[in-house]
Amino acid sequence: MKKKLNLTGILLIAAFVVFLVLAGRGMPPRDLLITTLRGFSVGSVTFLVAAGFSLIFGLLDVLNLAQGTLYMIGAYVGWTVFVRPDTFVDVTPIILFLMAGFALNFLWDYLADKIKLDPQKKKILGWSMVVVAVALAAFILPRYPIAMWQLNNYAQSPISFSYMADQGIRLPVAPAQAKGIPPMLALYGGLAISALLAFGLALIRYKENRQHSLHWKKWQVFVILLLLGTLIMAFNTPLSNWLMDMNTNWLFIIAIVVSVLSVVGLGALMEKTMIQPLYSRPVYQLMLTLGLGTIGMQLVKAIWGMPEFVLPKPEFFRGAGAACPATSIKDIFTHNCSTIMILGGRVRVYDEIVLPIIGITVLILVWLLLKKTRIGMIIRAGVQDSNMVEALGINVRRVFTFVFALGAGLAALGGVLSAPSNGLSVAMGEKLLLNALIALAIGGLTSYPGAALGSLMVGLIQQFMIKYGQIGIPIPFTDIIFKPTPAIIPASTMLLMVIVLLILPNGLLGRQD
Amino acid sequence: MKTKQSFLSRYKGILIFFAVMLLLPFVIGLFEGSNPLEVWNNQGRFSKYLEGIGIEIFILAIFALSYDLLFGITGLMSFGHTMFFAVAAYATGISLKTLGLPLWQVLLIIVGTSIVQALLFSIVLPRVKGVTFTMVTLGLASMFHIIVMSSDMIKLTGADVGLQGVPKPAFIDPSIERLRFYVVALLILVLVYIFYRRFIDSPTGRVSIAIRENESRAKMLGYNTTAFKVVVMLIASFTASIAGVLHTLYQPIVSPTIADLGYTVTGLLIVLIGGIATLSGSIVGAFVIKILDLGLRGIMKDSAPLVTGIVYVVFVLFVPYGIVGSLKLGGLRIKEGWQMLIERFGLKKLFEKKK
Repeated sequence: MKKKLNLTGILLIAAFVVFLVLAGRGMPPRDLLITTLRGFSVGSVTFLVAAGFSLIFGLLDVLNLAQGTLYMIGAYVGWTVFVRPDTFVDVTPIILFLMAGFALNFLWDYLADKIKLDPQKKKILGWSMVVVAVALAAFILPRYPIAMWQLNNYAQSPISFSYMADQGIRLPVAPAQAKGIPPMLALYGGLAISALLAFGLALIRYKENRQHSLHWKKWQVFVILLLLGTLIMAFNTPLSNWLMDMNTNWLFIIAIVVSVLSVVGLGALMEKTMIQPLYSRPVYQLMLTLGLGTIGMQLVKAIWGMPEFVLPKPEFFRGAGAACPATSIKDIFTHNCSTIMILGGRVRVYDEIVLPIIGITVLILVWLLLKKTRIGMIIRAGVQDSNMVEALGINVRRVFTFVFALGAGLAALGGVLSAPSNGLSVAMGEKLLLNALIALAIGGLTSYPGAALGSLMVGLIQQFMIKYGQIGIPIPFTDIIFKPTPAIIPASTMLLMVIVLLILPNGLLGRQD
Repeated sequence: MKTKQSFLSRYKGILIFFAVMLLLPFVIGLFEGSNPLEVWNNQGRFSKYLEGIGIEIFILAIFALSYDLLFGITGLMSFGHTMFFAVAAYATGISLKTLGLPLWQVLLIIVGTSIVQALLFSIVLPRVKGVTFTMVTLGLASMFHIIVMSSDMIKLTGADVGLQGVPKPAFIDPSIERLRFYVVALLILVLVYIFYRRFIDSPTGRVSIAIRENESRAKMLGYNTTAFKVVVMLIASFTASIAGVLHTLYQPIVSPTIADLGYTVTGLLIVLIGGIATLSGSIVGAFVIKILDLGLRGIMKDSAPLVTGIVYVVFVLFVPYGIVGSLKLGGLRIKEGWQMLIERFGLKKLFEKKK
């Protein structure tokens, strides 16, 4: 399909640029640069959420309103790994074991085939197994030992841990205490739960005439999960200590990887179990994601508490000393300066330089994925017409899951990256979701470059409005100076969205059809 | 079927509901040991508390009815519906408190604001469709929320604390004349319901349903669909505004959360639980939501919204037609919604054999 450049869109962008240039007249170049960089920073975090949103909407036609919550969960998981590695080490084995049962699905299918029972009884057996598994879970999971923060004890609350970690102090934490049953038993109880659940579900969905094989390669995942879980459990304390004493730079990278991976898993699970059955009813999908978003938010509130806290920055961005602020890029690497002097103004390295760079890198990487790989080709084709792609013999459902998980992962990446600069709060997801929605509406809902453009515009406008709140806007061709109050900042992006949508209902770069 | 039905038999259900709700405070009064005269003079204790809950439910139900007309009947998925409600609530509060106007003038103002807002939303209508409409309405409503919350307007709106100390007109003051307020709210709910029923049965209402089912076909048949949508928008806006007025008159504080997306979602939840496009479902849903909320708040304190969220997801997945819709589909055999899940979990044969 040849893309026609639409004139109205170009005119709008031109008007936007002219407005910025005219309005920026009264600003010294230093302020202009810093404000632009901040705009890019906000824009890249918004983009990470918006990109996933646009991919999901484009391919699956699902308006994933839970994207904001996934972003928030990403940030909170990242915080846990970074500030309380011991909790993370405690929780990992049981999650691995709960997954291990489902890794044996081929075996359960085989057994379901071998059991000599008539189909109806198989189903009843399956359901009773599920019930037993749930009962077992209710007994074992609360008794599984986890060393955690406490919400109603200020000295042990997430805020205190954040503050101490920020000061470079690790509070001594008591290792998890066994609650009634030995920890190892509780762990293998987890395996029993998942095995029962998976077997039960295999019996329930059993159909005849299936090809079964018990090839050794199929056992790999199960064995790896089992070994990993057992090892982590056995070396719990040394592992926690090792992570605690680790260089925070590496810990930060681990936190990013873990949070992205866990939210990718969560997204895939969500898509497989809840969104797939609703493909025939789009309005319900919208309402479902809205409900899931609320549930996720309440869960985060229940686990991490209502008060806000910050993810401390890793060492690399914390340096402060005689050599700081840095005057050259070399200084950042030798002294780890947290700020750098550009045009006589202090620019924060992490917030205003690293975040935009990561944003642009992800933009390019996902663009390459879409343009150069086979799966990207399928995705692009699916955005055009997913029924046709399915008719060509491609398993679109699997690609759907992949895209949903990818979108969730991008949101989580945005969450964990923005946590050091914007902090963590229960409302963070909703706030960012609104920003991302505005960005997408401006850029065009299903257009990937549109998501980038829209996010950038939202970020720039917000930051410029904040700056103008301090210095006042010289309204072009007059002497009046207009000072927007903090309340107008979010309203200004909304206004831009409404104007753009009234002129171009499909957004700046959206498909015109 | 063109049999002429009398008014009574046609609106049997809602009239019975009206009678029951009217008698309820007196019956409750008898149970707690205060005679009907005391209840009449607003001297009951538990019955007065119950009247309060009833008023809140009626207000929610009026709001949900207007959302059902817009979203369920006409198929316009607006995420800014609460703006109608909140603008009316704030306009009432400000004109009673700051401007000191009498109630009838306030009502005139409300008529004006509701028309203006409906027209504002209608400017968008012919241009944007589907998801974009949802987002534009969300944007408009969020802008109002931001303005209400902003510190510039603190003298008028009370910013994030809310609008306090609105003088209530003496003849309908909920703390003194609670029973009268209760009856007025109930009467408005019943009138709105009857009006909506009539509207759906009217030619205009039929076209609205046609727009939901297939807009291009309605257009092909020669209907100016935009005009019909504007009519629906006007009705929904006015109804939601009435609910907003009642909200301000009843509540001691008008909190800015009513301008939030969350309040629209509450409306959506009520409609969904009761049954989309059933009208009576909105009333049932309002009862369920309020009672669920009260019950959970007693038991679970802060995590009540979690349970509400789970109920919501369960309804979307398992009872997509809501309570009233499922009943209309014939007993508890909820057709498509269950069937899809039954097929998914491989239970189809099990159910077929049992029959």
